[in-house]
Amino acid sequence: MSNEISTELVCPDISQWLCHLLREVDGVTHNNRFERRQRLDVESAALPALLTLLQGKGSFVHLSAISCVDWVKENQFELVYHVWSYEMKVMVSAHIRIPREPGRYLSVYDIYKPAGFFERDIFEMYGIYFEGSPWMEKFILTEWDGPPPMRKEFDSEAWVDEHFDWQDYHPDWLKDLEAQGGGIAIRPEEQRFSRKAKDEC
Amino acid sequence: MSTLKDIPVRYEAEEAPARSNPLANVFDEFMNFCRSRSLFMLHYCTGCGAIELPPAMTSRFDMERLGIQPMVTPRQADILLVTGYVSVKTLKRVILTYEQMASPKYVVGICSCTVNGGMYWQSYATAKKLNDYLPVDVYIAGCMPRPEAVIEGLRKLQANIAAGTSDNWKDYYQRYDHYLANQQRLFGETWQTPTDVIGEAKRYGVIGPETEGEHTRLLGQHKQPLEPLRMTLNAGKLERME
Amino acid sequence: MSLAELLLELLVMPLVAFVIGLGMVLMMRRIGARLQRRVGPPFFQPLYDIVKLYGKRTQTSHGLVHDIGIVMAVGGYVAAETLLPMPGMNGIAEKGGLITLVYLMMVPSLGMALGVGQCANPNGSIGIGRALTAMLAYDVPFVIVVFGVAFHFGSTNLVSIIELQQAAGIAGWGAVQMPLLAIAGLFALHGMLGKQPFEIYIAPAEIATGPMVEMSGKFMGGLFVMQSFQLYTASALYVTLFLGGGENWLFFIVKCFAVLAIPVSLAFLFPRYRTEDLVRVFWKWPVMIGLIGLAFVMR
Repeated sequence: MSNEISTELVCPDISQWLCHLLREVDGVTHNNRFERRQRLDVESAALPALLTLLQGKGSFVHLSAISCVDWVKENQFELVYHVWSYEMKVMVSAHIRIPREPGRYLSVYDIYKPAGFFERDIFEMYGIYFEGSPWMEKFILTEWDGPPPMRKEFDSEAWVDEHFDWQDYHPDWLKDLEAQGGGIAIRPEEQRFSRKAKDEC
Repeated sequence: MSTLKDIPVRYEAEEAPARSNPLANVFDEFMNFCRSRSLFMLHYCTGCGAIELPPAMTSRFDMERLGIQPMVTPRQADILLVTGYVSVKTLKRVILTYEQMASPKYVVGICSCTVNGGMYWQSYATAKKLNDYLPVDVYIAGCMPRPEAVIEGLRKLQANIAAGTSDNWKDYYQRYDHYLANQQRLFGETWQTPTDVIGEAKRYGVIGPETEGEHTRLLGQHKQPLEPLRMTLNAGKLERME
Repeated sequence: MSLAELLLELLVMPLVAFVIGLGMVLMMRRIGARLQRRVGPPFFQPLYDIVKLYGKRTQTSHGLVHDIGIVMAVGGYVAAETLLPMPGMNGIAEKGGLITLVYLMMVPSLGMALGVGQCANPNGSIGIGRALTAMLAYDVPFVIVVFGVAFHFGSTNLVSIIELQQAAGIAGWGAVQMPLLAIAGLFALHGMLGKQPFEIYIAPAEIATGPMVEMSGKFMGGLFVMQSFQLYTASALYVTLFLGGGENWLFFIVKCFAVLAIPVSLAFLFPRYRTEDLVRVFWKWPVMIGLIGLAFVMR
């Protein structure tokens, strides 16, 4: 466990205090210290102990969010736990990495109750199963039966092309509009919106 | 050698019986005129385009002088305004709402998302072409269209109604199999609504050759009776949370 | 009056009431629009609405009782028109009287309650429960006012009430002789019309127009017709009791519209009352004013 204190500290007190606190848990690296945001890189086995410590002794009682990043090339998911302290007004983000196969991790619902909601969201969008979480079920995408859509290997455009129809081309609609004085302002070739146009040029 | 399938079949609509009342056409025109001058729009606005309706209804671009006023339930409304993107989850409810409305009813697709997907054209969760699932009378493109554009689109709808060319509600009955096929493609093979569309089509005499087909044939098999919603306070879940 | 004349009057009175009621609906919408700095609907808009609603090609009925409820709602008012004298036509006002008229004006709410109960929509049931509670609220001052007027003029015959008022000119009007009862009557009129701030039973965005939630097509058309009758009956009754009836058609119409303009102008200015607050307001203010007025009358 390395505790390097970098020289460009804005508010040395919080950082030092946090360093001191974090000595009680193994497997934590304290990076990127600013006055209001501190980043911790944690081993996945050490996270529950760290969160319990932060919540109990560290006054970080508020779980703001759990977010997920899909690192396809490294074959890992990164889960970030953002916790906030009302007393010190500091946000600490704890980053862990879990392997993509099998995307399972344990739930921190018993430490922070709001985690149930975020874990449900991540389960729906990324397919990561949190053991012990109370609601591992669908929430927003209730009519969805495809792969977890936020994974990088899921090509939304290809799926759309396969499952939906596009509008038929009705040239008479355009002629009606032009007869009334309307029409197209920017030609389709001059528009810049999709990956297709970028790939071509 | 021609099989049964190769023989071309021409469907000829039955000739409507000659109307004995000499004032029948006048009456029809009067009814169409009144229908075009008094439109109740359903105040159920789907997506982000709904933000353009309050300006069209309030003092600056008053819609009440055109006879259009908002009504809150589908039973009382004539126009279903599909404003903005229609996610798959919303589309189910929109179809249920549409089938509860009384005919003649009109669907207006406001915003470009209903035309061809609009801003969310790459999204896996929005419907791209609204007239696959519901018969649409007027599309008003834009993102969002300005209140002037909304009013112009509604005036176009009024002109179509007064001319008698806007009866796409019959199209829903006459091609129900086609619409049901598209809906089931999104929602699953066993999806159905509690409304008996075919029964209604038979009752009101708007049944067509394509009303029943391979998709509607399975409807009766999966029919589940509509159960009343059990209202609870979800006390079980509350206990679990603490 | 021969039988043929009587039958003709019974036919014509509701028709005239309906036409005047359409004008009142238009006035209501126009006043509301001007208060909101808009232009209102065109002149024939209420007629277009009713014709369009009756011209719906499909309808959803929830049973025989649902249909009967609407018939009762409109029929109650049609019967009430025949008991309300118009300039030149008395109908059966002499045989009926004020008490029968008050009873008949309660029938439409009960009819709607029947119909809405059959609809089995929770929004409708909540709405009609509130409507009947509101009826309980405004009927108390209404009955006090009616009793006071009948006592003052010594009869419940509307024709003789009108004659007594017109005989003495403006000084003989009910509003001049019993000002407190007139104020209480105006309050009760506002509640009877169900206009904002007393429209909790409709509550458009909260319970989806309450009793009207399952009414489509012809049912809704019937309710629109009922609304025109309701506006006419309430204002014509007030004019008959307090403003000297109608010496001729012009004055009658002007008075009716003037009486209606007061609640309608106040309607768009206040937020809505909750049901229990509504009952409290009606059982406090118009009842107190009415009872004090009654004390003066019975002195």
